[in-house]
Amino acid sequence: MNIQDNYIKNKKNIFFSENKDIQTHREKLINIFDNDRLDKKNNESLKNINLKNFIDFKYKYLISEETSVINNNQENSYSIVSVNGQCSSFKDDKIEITKILDEDYNDFSKNDTIENDDHFVNLNSLFLNSGFKIVIKKNNNIKIKISNIITDDDLTIFQKNNYICEEGSSLNLIEEYENKNNSTSNILNVIKLEKDSQLNHFLIQDNSPNHNLIITSHSSCKKDSTYTQKVYNFSEGYVRNFHYSELLEANSEADLQGIFFLKDNNLSNNKTFVKHLAEDCKSNQVYKGILNDSSKATYFSNTHVDQVAQKTEGYQLSKGILLSDNSSYFSKPELKIYADDVKCSHGSTIGPIDENAIFYLRSRGMSKTAATKILISSFINEELNSIDNEQMSEIIQKKLVRYLSKVK
Amino acid sequence: MFLEIKDLSVKIENKNILKSLNLNINKGEVHAIMGPNGSGKSTLANVLAGKEDYEILNGRINFKDNDLFDLNIEERAQEGMFLAFQYPVEIPGVNITPFLHSAINSKRKRMNEEEIDNLSFAKLLKSKASDLGINIDMLKRSVNTGFSGGEKKRYEILQMSILNPDLAILDETDSGLDIDALKIVTDGVNKLKTNDNSFLIITHYQKLLDYIKPDYVHVMVNGSIVKSGGSEIAAEIEKDGFQKFQ
Repeated sequence: MNIQDNYIKNKKNIFFSENKDIQTHREKLINIFDNDRLDKKNNESLKNINLKNFIDFKYKYLISEETSVINNNQENSYSIVSVNGQCSSFKDDKIEITKILDEDYNDFSKNDTIENDDHFVNLNSLFLNSGFKIVIKKNNNIKIKISNIITDDDLTIFQKNNYICEEGSSLNLIEEYENKNNSTSNILNVIKLEKDSQLNHFLIQDNSPNHNLIITSHSSCKKDSTYTQKVYNFSEGYVRNFHYSELLEANSEADLQGIFFLKDNNLSNNKTFVKHLAEDCKSNQVYKGILNDSSKATYFSNTHVDQVAQKTEGYQLSKGILLSDNSSYFSKPELKIYADDVKCSHGSTIGPIDENAIFYLRSRGMSKTAATKILISSFINEELNSIDNEQMSEIIQKKLVRYLSKVK
Repeated sequence: MFLEIKDLSVKIENKNILKSLNLNINKGEVHAIMGPNGSGKSTLANVLAGKEDYEILNGRINFKDNDLFDLNIEERAQEGMFLAFQYPVEIPGVNITPFLHSAINSKRKRMNEEEIDNLSFAKLLKSKASDLGINIDMLKRSVNTGFSGGEKKRYEILQMSILNPDLAILDETDSGLDIDALKIVTDGVNKLKTNDNSFLIITHYQKLLDYIKPDYVHVMVNGSIVKSGGSEIAAEIEKDGFQKFQ
């Protein structure tokens, strides 16, 4: 089925399909797909993935209305179970949760500064069928844990979530993706940090082989705000992590980090993109991967420094350990710098585990397997030690032990 | 015989390094091997420890009644062989204390001995570190990471004293050490010396042998031992160099 037919067939269930403005926008998007103008050679969202598999939905589209569970058992701490991409409305004096609205859609799709060449984001806009909006009110310090659950088998979810951290607020957000059923989730998180706000965002991904997760985020930071994102991908199914950040005003920071643990024939595509649009801003992009068996990964890191963004500090680092001859990791760092007073760097190191280190450890009596495991753990030691949340740290350690149990 | 090397020939990347080498070491003996650069001294140390880059062309090695080639790297260590590396490997992120604790317990397990618990190990480590003038703070760091040359060698000797091997091979442990560090390191070795363990000391210079008295000195040239004798050989080398043996 081509995309036009698919769109017409599902139109009545697509969010905001009655909205003329949104309809017009979507028709433009369909044209991009229909006119065979997709630049498969250069477009990073099309590399190493067959888009056709995601245009012809493998699974059903209509999702049933579900009620999510929101708990506020501890002060300033919320626990949410989002079911099939949906979240019930909730409001108190610190946060407000609503369904996603037309205006949220337009706010994102009509923003000229946002890159529009990510075709999975375009698909998300075209077929949107779920999503919510969370606002952290001014000067509040909040913790939220969201478990993203898919209850229906054979489901295709196109979900758009908006997070707004109002001035002076601070949010610690843990998102868990642990799905075991046949399904595809295409999720876009649009994150806005107002002046002086802070968001520490953890994403734990641990899906079974039959679940595809395409997760994209667009964060934007105003004056003195900081966005930190840490992705831990233990999934056995396909995961795409594409995360874009814009530093809109002075003294803002974006820190995008990820670790992925791959095995079997799994594939993971990763990208981080930071746009420096104001002076005195900092960014950090660090992805590390451990690849076993015949697994494959890609990582594109991009720093764009606008000519007004003087005194920028922007760092990129990509590291990978290949545990087998059949595994591969392609990494491409990119810097575009139009300002003259900046500190920027990039680095990429990919290779097998250090044989000299293995020999050293074995010469002290450790088995080869134990030595390999200890070296893998040491490779991500810095990232593991920097987790300051005890519960999170325990979760990650357990998943790491499970991954290592399969390493020989 | 404690260690018996018979007619050993070894090559790496089509280059013959060891050529029909013979060496016997009995329990309680200290042997020194001296030789010019490229004579194969470190290759011998690595082959004994089990490094897999080398191709054994001929010969056999017996260690404590085992055919050494039947044992892999860790089994040799667990059987009581220890190599103090010429260039200890930096391993960022692997903390010294749990690493050494795991190492000692893997050996005890093979020997059917009870594993040493955390507290007892911490005490043992602290006391051995103190003997070697190693700051306790150093034990909180990653293996060899950011250590000076002298610190790395001292740390090798600390590992040796914790693991208490039957045969310790010291591969140019004196290189890169100042005189004070050399004294500390050699004191550590001398304290460890008993009638039940043996040492194979590889060095270029006689200096080290002023502090550790060898029972036998061997001269190694071009992959073979060309002369064996007592300490007088070391003095001879110090005076005339290796030229006359080549």
